[in-house]
Amino acid sequence: MPPLIEAHDLSKKYGKHIALDRVNFAVETGRIVGLIGPNGAGKTSALRAILGLTPYEGRLRVLDREPFGDRAALMRDACFIADVAVLPAWLRVDQAIDFVAGIHPRFRRDRAQALLSKTQITGKRRMRELSKGMKTQVHLALTMAIDAKLLVLDEPTLGLDILARRSFFDALVNDYMDETRTILITTHQVEEVENLLTDVIFIDRGRIVLDSSLDEIATRYAAVAVGDDNLAVARAERPFFERRTLGKTVLYFERPDVRQLANLGELLTPSVSDLFVAKLSGGAA
Amino acid sequence: MKDYAWLVRREFWENRAIWLVPSLIGVALTLAALFGNVQIPSLSLPDNRIFGGVVLFGFGVTFFVVMDIYATWYLLDCLYADRKDRSVLFWKSLPISDTATVLAKLFTGLIAIPLVYFIAADIATLLMAFIVSVRAHSTLGGSLWQPDLWLQLQALWLYLIVTSAIWYLPFAGYLLVVSAWAKRAVTLWSIVPPLAAYLLERWFFGTQWVGTALQDRAFGYLPRAFHDKSDQSAWVTTVIQHDTIKTPSSIWQLLDPLGFFSSPATWAGIVVGIAFIIGAIQLRLRRTEI
Repeated sequence: MPPLIEAHDLSKKYGKHIALDRVNFAVETGRIVGLIGPNGAGKTSALRAILGLTPYEGRLRVLDREPFGDRAALMRDACFIADVAVLPAWLRVDQAIDFVAGIHPRFRRDRAQALLSKTQITGKRRMRELSKGMKTQVHLALTMAIDAKLLVLDEPTLGLDILARRSFFDALVNDYMDETRTILITTHQVEEVENLLTDVIFIDRGRIVLDSSLDEIATRYAAVAVGDDNLAVARAERPFFERRTLGKTVLYFERPDVRQLANLGELLTPSVSDLFVAKLSGGAA
Repeated sequence: MKDYAWLVRREFWENRAIWLVPSLIGVALTLAALFGNVQIPSLSLPDNRIFGGVVLFGFGVTFFVVMDIYATWYLLDCLYADRKDRSVLFWKSLPISDTATVLAKLFTGLIAIPLVYFIAADIATLLMAFIVSVRAHSTLGGSLWQPDLWLQLQALWLYLIVTSAIWYLPFAGYLLVVSAWAKRAVTLWSIVPPLAAYLLERWFFGTQWVGTALQDRAFGYLPRAFHDKSDQSAWVTTVIQHDTIKTPSSIWQLLDPLGFFSSPATWAGIVVGIAFIIGAIQLRLRRTEI
Protein backbone atom coordinates (compact mmCIF):
# COMPACT_ATOMS: atom_id res chain seq x y z
CA MET A 1 0.00 0.00 0.00
CA PRO A 2 1.44 3.39 -0.91
CA PRO A 3 1.81 5.97 1.84
CA LEU A 4 -1.16 8.21 2.52
CA ILE A 5 0.94 11.30 1.95
CA GLU A 6 4.08 11.27 -0.15
CA ALA A 7 6.23 14.32 -0.84
CA HIS A 8 9.26 14.39 -3.14
CA ASP A 9 11.33 17.55 -3.39
CA LEU A 10 8.36 19.58 -2.23
CA SER A 11 9.13 23.30 -2.40
CA LYS A 12 7.14 26.43 -1.77
CA LYS A 13 8.38 29.92 -2.50
CA TYR A 14 6.81 33.26 -1.78
CA GLY A 15 8.70 35.60 -4.05
CA LYS A 16 12.33 35.26 -2.89
CA HIS A 17 11.42 33.73 0.44
CA ILE A 18 11.72 29.94 0.44
CA ALA A 19 9.17 28.51 2.86
CA LEU A 20 9.83 24.87 1.96
CA ASP A 21 13.09 23.76 0.44
CA ARG A 22 12.88 20.44 -1.43
CA VAL A 23 11.56 18.38 1.45
CA ASN A 24 10.83 14.66 1.33
CA PHE A 25 8.57 12.78 3.69
CA ALA A 26 5.87 10.15 3.81
CA VAL A 27 2.98 9.52 6.17
CA GLU A 28 1.58 6.01 6.55
CA THR A 29 -1.99 4.99 7.41
CA GLY A 30 -2.87 4.67 11.08
CA ARG A 31 -0.23 7.08 12.38
CA ILE A 32 -0.56 10.27 14.37
CA VAL A 33 2.15 12.48 12.99
CA GLY A 34 3.28 15.73 14.55
CA LEU A 35 4.71 18.30 12.17
CA ILE A 36 6.67 20.37 14.60
CA GLY A 37 8.65 23.54 14.16
CA PRO A 38 9.02 27.10 15.37
CA ASN A 39 6.85 29.87 13.92
CA GLY A 40 7.70 30.51 10.30
CA ALA A 41 9.47 27.17 9.87
CA GLY A 42 7.31 26.07 6.94
CA LYS A 43 4.72 23.97 8.80
CA THR A 44 1.76 25.87 7.51
CA SER A 45 3.15 25.95 3.97
CA ALA A 46 3.52 22.17 4.05
CA LEU A 47 -0.03 21.75 5.34
CA ARG A 48 -1.50 24.17 2.83
CA ALA A 49 0.18 22.23 0.04
CA ILE A 50 -1.08 18.91 1.39
CA LEU A 51 -4.64 20.27 1.64
CA GLY A 52 -4.65 21.70 -1.87
CA LEU A 53 -4.89 25.28 -0.68
CA THR A 54 -1.79 26.48 -2.47
CA PRO A 55 0.26 25.60 -5.55
CA TYR A 56 3.75 24.17 -4.98
CA GLU A 57 6.77 22.75 -6.78
CA GLY A 58 7.85 19.15 -6.67
CA ARG A 59 5.77 16.02 -6.41
CA LEU A 60 3.05 15.57 -3.83
CA ARG A 61 0.45 12.82 -3.59
CA VAL A 62 -2.23 12.78 -0.91
CA LEU A 63 -4.62 9.82 -0.87
CA ASP A 64 -3.36 9.16 -4.37
CA ARG A 65 -4.43 12.59 -5.60
CA GLU A 66 -2.69 15.77 -6.65
CA PRO A 67 -4.05 18.08 -3.95
CA PHE A 68 -4.03 21.50 -5.63
CA GLY A 69 -5.86 20.43 -8.75
CA ASP A 70 -8.20 18.05 -7.00
CA ARG A 71 -9.04 19.63 -3.64
CA ALA A 72 -12.80 19.12 -3.78
CA ALA A 73 -12.42 15.38 -4.43
CA LEU A 74 -9.67 15.09 -1.82
CA MET A 75 -11.92 16.64 0.82
CA ARG A 76 -14.32 13.72 0.55
CA ASP A 77 -11.66 11.55 2.20
CA ALA A 78 -9.70 14.14 4.13
CA CYS A 79 -10.73 16.96 6.38
CA PHE A 80 -8.99 19.65 8.31
CA ILE A 81 -9.38 22.13 11.12
CA ALA A 82 -7.31 25.14 10.21
CA ASP A 83 -7.53 26.75 13.59
CA VAL A 84 -10.20 27.62 16.06
CA ALA A 85 -11.46 30.86 14.62
CA VAL A 86 -12.56 29.92 11.12
CA LEU A 87 -16.25 29.14 11.59
CA PRO A 88 -17.97 32.32 10.39
CA ALA A 89 -19.59 34.50 13.06
CA TRP A 90 -23.02 34.53 11.40
CA LEU A 91 -23.33 30.74 11.13
CA ARG A 92 -25.77 28.98 13.46
CA VAL A 93 -24.84 25.57 14.86
CA ASP A 94 -27.83 23.86 13.24
CA GLN A 95 -27.09 25.58 9.92
CA ALA A 96 -23.52 24.30 10.08
CA ILE A 97 -24.79 20.76 10.60
CA ASP A 98 -27.40 21.09 7.84
CA PHE A 99 -24.87 22.47 5.39
CA VAL A 100 -22.20 19.85 5.96
CA ALA A 101 -24.87 17.10 5.94
CA GLY A 102 -26.18 18.51 2.67
CA ILE A 103 -22.90 18.48 0.80
CA HIS A 104 -20.64 15.92 2.45
CA PRO A 105 -21.30 12.31 1.41
CA ARG A 106 -19.42 10.93 4.43
CA PHE A 107 -20.95 13.13 7.11
CA ARG A 108 -23.02 11.39 9.78
CA ARG A 109 -25.50 13.82 11.28
CA ASP A 110 -26.42 11.56 14.21
CA ARG A 111 -22.80 11.39 15.23
CA ALA A 112 -22.36 15.18 15.13
CA GLN A 113 -25.52 15.62 17.18
CA ALA A 114 -24.44 13.01 19.70
CA LEU A 115 -21.10 14.78 20.15
CA LEU A 116 -22.78 18.16 20.57
CA SER A 117 -25.37 16.83 22.99
CA LYS A 118 -22.52 16.24 25.44
CA THR A 119 -21.88 19.99 25.46
CA GLN A 120 -23.87 23.05 26.52
CA ILE A 121 -24.20 24.21 22.92
CA THR A 122 -27.67 24.42 21.39
CA GLY A 123 -28.53 24.52 17.71
CA LYS A 124 -29.83 28.07 17.53
CA ARG A 125 -26.61 29.63 18.81
CA ARG A 126 -24.53 31.63 16.38
CA MET A 127 -20.74 31.27 16.31
CA ARG A 128 -20.33 34.90 17.38
CA GLU A 129 -22.10 34.06 20.64
CA LEU A 130 -19.81 31.13 21.46
CA SER A 131 -16.51 31.17 23.32
CA LYS A 132 -13.37 29.99 21.55
CA GLY A 133 -13.55 26.68 23.37
CA MET A 134 -17.17 26.15 22.35
CA LYS A 135 -16.41 27.00 18.73
CA THR A 136 -13.67 24.41 18.79
CA GLN A 137 -16.15 21.88 20.18
CA VAL A 138 -18.54 22.62 17.32
CA HIS A 139 -15.81 22.38 14.71
CA LEU A 140 -14.48 19.17 16.20
CA ALA A 141 -17.99 17.66 16.32
CA LEU A 142 -18.52 18.53 12.66
CA THR A 143 -15.14 17.10 11.71
CA MET A 144 -15.31 13.96 13.80
CA ALA A 145 -18.69 13.13 12.27
CA ILE A 146 -17.01 12.89 8.87
CA ASP A 147 -15.80 9.42 8.09
CA ALA A 148 -12.45 10.58 6.71
CA LYS A 149 -9.20 8.74 6.15
CA LEU A 150 -7.01 11.74 6.90
CA LEU A 151 -7.53 14.48 9.45
CA VAL A 152 -5.24 17.49 9.38
CA LEU A 153 -5.06 19.88 12.31
CA ASP A 154 -3.17 23.15 12.09
CA GLU A 155 -2.41 24.60 15.51
CA PRO A 156 -5.84 23.39 16.62
CA THR A 157 -5.64 24.61 20.19
CA LEU A 158 -4.22 28.07 19.58
CA GLY A 159 -5.78 30.51 22.02
CA LEU A 160 -7.62 27.86 24.03
CA ASP A 161 -7.35 27.56 27.80
CA ILE A 162 -5.87 24.45 29.37
CA LEU A 163 -9.23 22.72 30.00
CA ALA A 164 -10.44 23.21 26.45
CA ARG A 165 -7.11 21.95 25.11
CA ARG A 166 -7.23 18.85 27.22
CA SER A 167 -10.78 17.97 26.22
CA PHE A 168 -9.92 18.58 22.57
CA PHE A 169 -7.13 16.03 22.57
CA ASP A 170 -9.06 13.58 24.74
CA ALA A 171 -11.95 13.60 22.27
CA LEU A 172 -9.54 13.14 19.40
CA VAL A 173 -7.76 10.15 20.86
CA ASN A 174 -10.69 8.42 22.58
CA ASP A 175 -13.60 9.04 20.23
CA TYR A 176 -11.98 9.42 16.85
CA MET A 177 -8.69 7.66 16.33
CA ASP A 178 -8.59 4.09 15.09
CA GLU A 179 -6.28 2.07 12.86
CA THR A 180 -8.00 3.17 9.64
CA ARG A 181 -7.47 6.84 10.31
CA THR A 182 -4.44 9.05 10.10
CA ILE A 183 -3.91 12.37 11.82
CA LEU A 184 -1.40 15.02 10.85
CA ILE A 185 -1.05 17.77 13.39
CA THR A 186 1.10 20.88 13.40
CA THR A 187 2.02 22.72 16.51
CA HIS A 188 4.80 24.77 18.00
CA GLN A 189 3.88 23.54 21.46
CA VAL A 190 5.51 20.15 21.57
CA GLU A 191 4.67 19.26 25.18
CA GLU A 192 0.99 19.37 24.42
CA VAL A 193 1.00 16.61 21.82
CA GLU A 194 4.02 14.47 22.50
CA ASN A 195 2.04 11.85 24.42
CA LEU A 196 -0.37 11.14 21.60
CA LEU A 197 1.98 11.13 18.62
CA THR A 198 3.35 8.01 16.97
CA ASP A 199 5.70 9.95 14.67
CA VAL A 200 7.34 13.34 14.56
CA ILE A 201 8.69 15.45 11.76
CA PHE A 202 10.77 18.43 12.87
CA ILE A 203 10.93 21.24 10.42
CA ASP A 204 13.09 24.35 10.59
CA ARG A 205 13.70 27.09 8.04
CA GLY A 206 12.01 25.10 5.31
CA ARG A 207 13.99 21.91 5.86
CA ILE A 208 13.29 18.68 7.69
CA VAL A 209 15.57 18.26 10.67
CA LEU A 210 14.19 15.00 12.00
CA ASP A 211 11.68 12.47 10.66
CA SER A 212 11.20 9.53 12.95
CA SER A 213 8.75 7.37 14.85
CA LEU A 214 8.68 7.74 18.60
CA ASP A 215 9.84 4.14 19.07
CA GLU A 216 12.82 4.87 16.93
CA ILE A 217 13.63 8.01 18.90
CA ALA A 218 13.79 6.02 22.14
CA THR A 219 16.44 3.70 20.74
CA ARG A 220 18.32 6.24 18.67
CA TYR A 221 18.83 9.10 21.08
CA ALA A 222 20.12 9.28 24.61
CA ALA A 223 21.15 12.00 27.01
CA VAL A 224 23.36 11.95 30.02
CA ALA A 225 23.63 14.35 32.94
CA VAL A 226 27.23 14.65 34.04
CA GLY A 227 29.07 16.57 36.69
CA ASP A 228 31.90 18.92 35.78
CA ASP A 229 34.52 16.26 36.53
CA ASN A 230 33.30 14.03 33.70
CA LEU A 231 32.36 16.78 31.29
CA ALA A 232 35.50 16.68 29.16
CA VAL A 233 35.25 12.90 28.74
CA ALA A 234 31.58 13.12 27.83
CA ARG A 235 32.26 15.86 25.30
CA ALA A 236 34.78 13.63 23.61
CA GLU A 237 31.85 11.31 22.71
CA ARG A 238 30.64 14.06 20.35
CA PRO A 239 27.25 15.16 21.70
CA PHE A 240 25.15 17.19 19.25
CA PHE A 241 23.78 19.44 21.97
CA GLU A 242 24.36 20.28 25.59
CA ARG A 243 22.72 22.42 28.21
CA ARG A 244 23.46 23.40 31.81
CA THR A 245 20.97 22.54 34.49
CA LEU A 246 21.25 22.49 38.29
CA GLY A 247 25.00 22.37 38.37
CA LYS A 248 25.18 19.54 35.87
CA THR A 249 25.50 19.44 32.13
CA VAL A 250 23.06 17.39 30.03
CA LEU A 251 24.59 16.15 26.81
CA TYR A 252 22.59 14.72 23.90
CA PHE A 253 23.87 11.95 21.67
CA GLU A 254 22.69 10.24 18.54
CA ARG A 255 23.35 6.48 18.43
CA PRO A 256 25.68 6.52 21.42
CA ASP A 257 27.38 3.71 23.23
CA VAL A 258 24.90 3.64 26.09
CA ARG A 259 27.03 1.61 28.51
CA GLN A 260 29.88 4.04 28.11
CA LEU A 261 27.56 6.96 28.85
CA ALA A 262 26.12 5.26 31.92
CA ASN A 263 29.57 5.30 33.45
CA LEU A 264 29.81 9.06 33.06
CA GLY A 265 26.59 10.10 34.76
CA GLU A 266 22.85 9.72 35.00
CA LEU A 267 21.33 8.33 31.78
CA LEU A 268 18.17 10.08 30.54
CA THR A 269 15.68 9.35 27.79
CA PRO A 270 15.14 12.60 25.94
CA SER A 271 11.52 13.65 25.50
CA VAL A 272 10.27 14.95 22.18
CA SER A 273 10.40 18.50 23.50
CA ASP A 274 13.99 18.01 24.67
CA LEU A 275 14.93 16.69 21.27
CA PHE A 276 13.09 19.56 19.62
CA VAL A 277 15.13 22.09 21.56
CA ALA A 278 18.29 20.10 21.02
CA LYS A 279 17.80 19.64 17.29
CA LEU A 280 16.71 23.17 16.56
CA SER A 281 19.41 24.93 18.52
CA GLY A 282 21.87 22.11 17.85
CA GLY A 283 23.58 23.76 14.93
CA ALA A 284 24.70 26.65 17.08
CA ALA A 285 26.03 24.56 19.98
CA MET B 1 -27.20 20.65 -8.55
CA LYS B 2 -27.86 19.74 -4.91
CA ASP B 3 -24.54 21.31 -3.95
CA TYR B 4 -25.48 24.53 -5.72
CA ALA B 5 -28.79 24.69 -3.85
CA TRP B 6 -26.91 24.40 -0.55
CA LEU B 7 -24.36 27.00 -1.61
CA VAL B 8 -27.07 29.51 -2.50
CA ARG B 9 -28.93 28.76 0.71
CA ARG B 10 -25.73 29.46 2.63
CA GLU B 11 -25.54 32.89 0.94
CA PHE B 12 -29.05 33.62 2.20
CA TRP B 13 -28.01 32.60 5.71
CA GLU B 14 -24.97 34.83 5.61
CA ASN B 15 -26.61 37.82 3.95
CA ARG B 16 -29.94 38.16 5.66
CA ALA B 17 -30.27 41.59 4.05
CA ILE B 18 -31.12 39.73 0.82
CA TRP B 19 -34.68 39.23 2.08
CA LEU B 20 -34.78 41.68 5.00
CA VAL B 21 -34.33 44.83 2.90
CA PRO B 22 -37.06 44.08 0.32
CA SER B 23 -39.35 43.00 3.16
CA LEU B 24 -38.79 46.34 4.86
CA ILE B 25 -39.47 48.29 1.67
CA GLY B 26 -42.63 46.24 1.19
CA VAL B 27 -43.76 46.92 4.74
CA ALA B 28 -43.02 50.65 4.37
CA LEU B 29 -45.00 50.90 1.14
CA THR B 30 -47.89 48.92 2.61
CA LEU B 31 -47.94 51.20 5.65
CA ALA B 32 -47.91 54.22 3.36
CA ALA B 33 -50.92 52.78 1.52
CA LEU B 34 -52.69 52.10 4.82
CA PHE B 35 -52.11 55.39 6.59
CA GLY B 36 -50.90 57.73 3.89
CA ASN B 37 -52.96 60.38 2.20
CA VAL B 38 -54.33 58.50 -0.80
CA GLN B 39 -55.40 60.91 -3.48
CA ILE B 40 -56.39 59.32 -6.71
CA PRO B 41 -57.14 61.91 -9.35
CA SER B 42 -60.46 61.62 -11.03
CA LEU B 43 -59.79 60.59 -14.57
CA SER B 44 -61.61 59.23 -17.55
CA LEU B 45 -61.24 55.54 -18.22
CA PRO B 46 -58.26 55.27 -20.61
CA ASP B 47 -56.25 57.75 -18.57
CA ASN B 48 -57.21 55.90 -15.44
CA ARG B 49 -55.67 52.78 -16.85
CA ILE B 50 -52.42 54.54 -17.62
CA PHE B 51 -52.32 56.08 -14.17
CA GLY B 52 -52.60 52.62 -12.66
CA GLY B 53 -49.78 51.37 -14.83
CA VAL B 54 -47.51 54.23 -13.82
CA VAL B 55 -48.15 53.63 -10.10
CA LEU B 56 -47.46 49.90 -10.40
CA PHE B 57 -44.36 50.55 -12.49
CA GLY B 58 -43.08 53.09 -9.97
CA PHE B 59 -43.55 50.53 -7.25
CA GLY B 60 -41.45 47.98 -9.06
CA VAL B 61 -38.75 50.51 -9.92
CA THR B 62 -38.33 51.38 -6.22
CA PHE B 63 -37.49 47.75 -5.53
CA PHE B 64 -35.21 47.39 -8.52
CA VAL B 65 -33.12 50.47 -7.75
CA VAL B 66 -32.44 49.26 -4.20
CA MET B 67 -31.78 45.77 -5.57
CA ASP B 68 -29.14 47.03 -8.01
CA ILE B 69 -27.25 48.82 -5.27
CA TYR B 70 -27.46 45.82 -2.94
CA ALA B 71 -26.48 43.24 -5.58
CA THR B 72 -23.45 45.34 -6.57
CA TRP B 73 -22.32 45.51 -2.97
CA TYR B 74 -22.99 41.78 -2.52
CA LEU B 75 -20.85 40.76 -5.51
CA LEU B 76 -18.03 43.00 -4.34
CA ASP B 77 -18.13 41.66 -0.79
CA CYS B 78 -18.95 37.95 -1.08
CA LEU B 79 -15.51 36.42 -1.77
CA TYR B 80 -13.69 39.06 0.26
CA ALA B 81 -15.86 38.41 3.34
CA ASP B 82 -14.85 34.72 3.38
CA ARG B 83 -11.20 35.69 3.42
CA LYS B 84 -11.58 38.53 5.90
CA ASP B 85 -13.10 36.34 8.62
CA ARG B 86 -10.90 33.39 7.53
CA SER B 87 -13.99 31.21 7.11
CA VAL B 88 -12.63 30.42 3.64
CA LEU B 89 -10.54 27.81 5.48
CA PHE B 90 -13.73 26.17 6.71
CA TRP B 91 -15.49 26.24 3.33
CA LYS B 92 -12.39 24.84 1.66
CA SER B 93 -12.31 21.94 4.10
CA LEU B 94 -15.51 20.69 2.47
CA PRO B 95 -15.76 18.78 -0.82
CA ILE B 96 -16.96 21.77 -2.85
CA SER B 97 -14.89 23.08 -5.74
CA ASP B 98 -13.92 26.73 -5.94
CA THR B 99 -15.64 26.86 -9.31
CA ALA B 100 -18.94 25.85 -7.71
CA THR B 101 -18.46 28.39 -4.93
CA VAL B 102 -17.80 31.29 -7.29
CA LEU B 103 -20.63 30.32 -9.66
CA ALA B 104 -23.08 30.01 -6.76
CA LYS B 105 -22.16 33.50 -5.59
CA LEU B 106 -22.50 34.86 -9.12
CA PHE B 107 -25.91 33.23 -9.45
CA THR B 108 -26.96 34.66 -6.09
CA GLY B 109 -25.96 38.18 -7.09
CA LEU B 110 -27.35 38.17 -10.62
CA ILE B 111 -30.45 35.96 -10.38
CA ALA B 112 -31.41 34.94 -6.83
CA ILE B 113 -31.31 38.42 -5.29
CA PRO B 114 -33.30 40.05 -8.15
CA LEU B 115 -35.88 37.25 -7.90
CA VAL B 116 -36.32 37.84 -4.17
CA TYR B 117 -36.89 41.56 -4.81
CA PHE B 118 -39.26 40.71 -7.65
CA ILE B 119 -41.36 38.47 -5.40
CA ALA B 120 -41.31 41.05 -2.59
CA ALA B 121 -42.38 43.75 -5.05
CA ASP B 122 -45.26 41.59 -6.26
CA ILE B 123 -46.55 40.85 -2.78
CA ALA B 124 -46.22 44.48 -1.69
CA THR B 125 -47.91 45.71 -4.85
CA LEU B 126 -50.84 43.34 -4.37
CA LEU B 127 -51.26 44.47 -0.78
CA MET B 128 -50.97 48.12 -1.73
CA ALA B 129 -53.46 47.80 -4.58
CA PHE B 130 -55.91 46.03 -2.31
CA ILE B 131 -55.60 48.60 0.47
CA VAL B 132 -55.83 51.59 -1.84
CA SER B 133 -58.87 50.28 -3.68
CA VAL B 134 -60.65 49.63 -0.37
CA ARG B 135 -59.71 53.03 1.05
CA ALA B 136 -60.43 55.01 -2.08
CA HIS B 137 -64.13 54.08 -2.03
CA SER B 138 -64.51 54.46 -5.71
CA THR B 139 -64.04 52.73 -8.98
CA LEU B 140 -60.77 54.63 -9.28
CA GLY B 141 -59.01 52.20 -7.01
CA GLY B 142 -59.78 49.71 -9.69
CA SER B 143 -57.15 51.36 -11.86
CA LEU B 144 -54.69 49.17 -9.97
CA TRP B 145 -56.60 45.97 -10.74
CA GLN B 146 -55.94 45.25 -14.36
CA PRO B 147 -55.00 41.65 -15.08
CA ASP B 148 -53.39 42.31 -18.45
CA LEU B 149 -51.41 45.24 -17.10
CA TRP B 150 -50.33 43.08 -14.21
CA LEU B 151 -49.20 40.33 -16.56
CA GLN B 152 -47.30 42.82 -18.70
CA LEU B 153 -45.40 44.10 -15.69
CA GLN B 154 -44.50 40.56 -14.63
CA ALA B 155 -43.08 39.95 -18.09
CA LEU B 156 -41.20 43.24 -17.94
CA TRP B 157 -39.55 42.45 -14.61
CA LEU B 158 -38.55 38.93 -15.61
CA TYR B 159 -37.19 40.16 -18.94
CA LEU B 160 -35.27 42.84 -17.05
CA ILE B 161 -33.76 40.32 -14.64
CA VAL B 162 -32.57 37.95 -17.37
CA THR B 163 -31.29 40.49 -19.88
CA SER B 164 -29.62 42.77 -17.36
CA ALA B 165 -27.89 39.76 -15.78
CA ILE B 166 -26.45 39.00 -19.22
CA TRP B 167 -25.61 42.60 -20.09
CA TYR B 168 -23.93 43.33 -16.76
CA LEU B 169 -22.04 40.00 -16.64
CA PRO B 170 -18.67 41.75 -17.23
CA PHE B 171 -19.32 44.13 -14.33
CA ALA B 172 -20.37 41.24 -12.09
CA GLY B 173 -17.31 39.20 -13.11
CA TYR B 174 -15.06 42.18 -12.48
CA LEU B 175 -16.53 42.72 -9.01
CA LEU B 176 -15.88 39.05 -8.20
CA VAL B 177 -12.26 39.40 -9.33
CA VAL B 178 -11.77 42.38 -7.02
CA SER B 179 -13.55 40.53 -4.22
CA ALA B 180 -11.29 37.49 -4.64
CA TRP B 181 -8.15 39.57 -4.95
CA ALA B 182 -8.15 42.70 -2.80
CA LYS B 183 -6.52 42.64 0.62
CA ARG B 184 -8.65 45.54 1.84
CA ALA B 185 -10.80 48.42 0.62
CA VAL B 186 -12.70 46.45 -2.01
CA THR B 187 -14.79 49.48 -2.98
CA LEU B 188 -11.72 51.55 -3.71
CA TRP B 189 -10.11 48.70 -5.64
CA SER B 190 -13.22 48.31 -7.74
CA ILE B 191 -13.01 51.95 -8.86
CA VAL B 192 -9.27 52.61 -9.15
CA PRO B 193 -8.22 50.24 -11.99
CA PRO B 194 -10.85 51.34 -14.52
CA LEU B 195 -10.35 54.98 -13.56
CA ALA B 196 -6.57 54.62 -13.91
CA ALA B 197 -6.95 52.88 -17.27
CA TYR B 198 -9.20 55.69 -18.46
CA LEU B 199 -6.87 58.47 -17.31
CA LEU B 200 -3.65 56.81 -18.52
CA GLU B 201 -5.15 56.20 -21.92
CA ARG B 202 -6.19 59.82 -22.17
CA TRP B 203 -2.79 61.15 -21.10
CA PHE B 204 -0.59 58.85 -23.12
CA PHE B 205 -2.61 58.16 -26.24
CA GLY B 206 -5.16 60.93 -26.21
CA THR B 207 -7.85 58.37 -27.00
CA GLN B 208 -10.94 57.38 -25.05
CA TRP B 209 -11.49 53.69 -25.79
CA VAL B 210 -11.74 52.68 -22.16
CA GLY B 211 -14.06 55.52 -21.24
CA THR B 212 -16.33 54.86 -24.21
CA ALA B 213 -16.46 51.13 -23.54
CA LEU B 214 -17.29 51.65 -19.86
CA GLN B 215 -19.88 54.27 -20.64
CA ASP B 216 -21.54 52.04 -23.21
CA ARG B 217 -21.60 49.11 -20.80
CA ALA B 218 -23.08 51.25 -18.03
CA PHE B 219 -25.72 53.05 -20.06
CA GLY B 220 -26.07 50.95 -23.20
CA TYR B 221 -28.41 48.41 -21.68
CA LEU B 222 -31.77 50.16 -22.09
CA PRO B 223 -31.34 51.11 -25.78
CA ARG B 224 -30.37 47.55 -26.64
CA ALA B 225 -32.94 45.64 -24.62
CA PHE B 226 -35.90 47.93 -25.36
CA HIS B 227 -37.38 49.70 -28.35
CA ASP B 228 -36.90 53.43 -28.12
CA LYS B 229 -39.45 56.17 -28.44
CA SER B 230 -38.88 56.71 -32.13
CA ASP B 231 -41.64 54.24 -32.91
CA GLN B 232 -44.50 56.69 -32.36
CA SER B 233 -47.27 54.11 -32.67
CA ALA B 234 -45.95 52.23 -29.65
CA TRP B 235 -46.22 55.23 -27.32
CA VAL B 236 -49.17 57.01 -25.82
CA THR B 237 -49.07 60.55 -24.46
CA THR B 238 -51.30 61.28 -21.50
CA VAL B 239 -51.90 64.45 -19.52
CA ILE B 240 -52.59 63.80 -15.85
CA GLN B 241 -53.19 67.00 -13.89
CA HIS B 242 -50.96 69.24 -16.04
CA ASP B 243 -48.18 66.62 -16.25
CA THR B 244 -47.54 65.09 -19.62
CA ILE B 245 -46.30 61.53 -19.50
CA LYS B 246 -45.36 59.24 -22.31
CA THR B 247 -46.09 55.58 -21.75
CA PRO B 248 -45.79 52.54 -23.97
CA SER B 249 -49.10 51.38 -25.35
CA SER B 250 -48.10 47.87 -24.40
CA ILE B 251 -45.09 46.27 -22.73
CA TRP B 252 -44.96 43.72 -25.52
CA GLN B 253 -44.09 46.46 -27.98
CA LEU B 254 -41.40 47.76 -25.68
CA LEU B 255 -39.31 44.61 -25.18
CA ASP B 256 -36.71 43.95 -27.84
CA PRO B 257 -35.21 40.50 -27.18
CA LEU B 258 -34.27 40.05 -30.81
CA GLY B 259 -32.34 43.30 -30.88
CA PHE B 260 -30.70 42.49 -27.56
CA PHE B 261 -29.47 39.04 -28.49
CA SER B 262 -28.39 40.05 -31.97
CA SER B 263 -26.27 42.93 -30.68
CA PRO B 264 -22.51 42.18 -30.88
CA ALA B 265 -22.06 44.18 -27.66
CA THR B 266 -24.19 41.63 -25.80
CA TRP B 267 -21.95 38.77 -26.91
CA ALA B 268 -18.74 40.71 -26.39
CA GLY B 269 -19.96 41.35 -22.85
CA ILE B 270 -20.59 37.65 -22.30
CA VAL B 271 -17.06 36.79 -23.45
CA VAL B 272 -15.46 39.43 -21.22
CA GLY B 273 -17.72 38.40 -18.34
CA ILE B 274 -16.69 34.74 -18.64
CA ALA B 275 -13.01 35.76 -18.72
CA PHE B 276 -13.44 37.71 -15.48
CA ILE B 277 -15.29 34.81 -13.86
CA ILE B 278 -12.50 32.39 -14.79
CA GLY B 279 -10.06 34.90 -13.27
CA ALA B 280 -12.10 35.08 -10.07
CA ILE B 281 -12.11 31.26 -9.81
CA GLN B 282 -8.33 31.13 -10.29
CA LEU B 283 -7.86 33.74 -7.58
CA ARG B 284 -10.21 31.89 -5.25
CA LEU B 285 -8.12 28.75 -5.79
CA ARG B 286 -4.90 30.50 -4.79
CA ARG B 287 -5.83 33.16 -2.27
CA THR B 288 -6.91 31.77 1.03
CA GLU B 289 -6.42 34.58 3.46
CA ILE B 290 -5.83 38.28 3.52
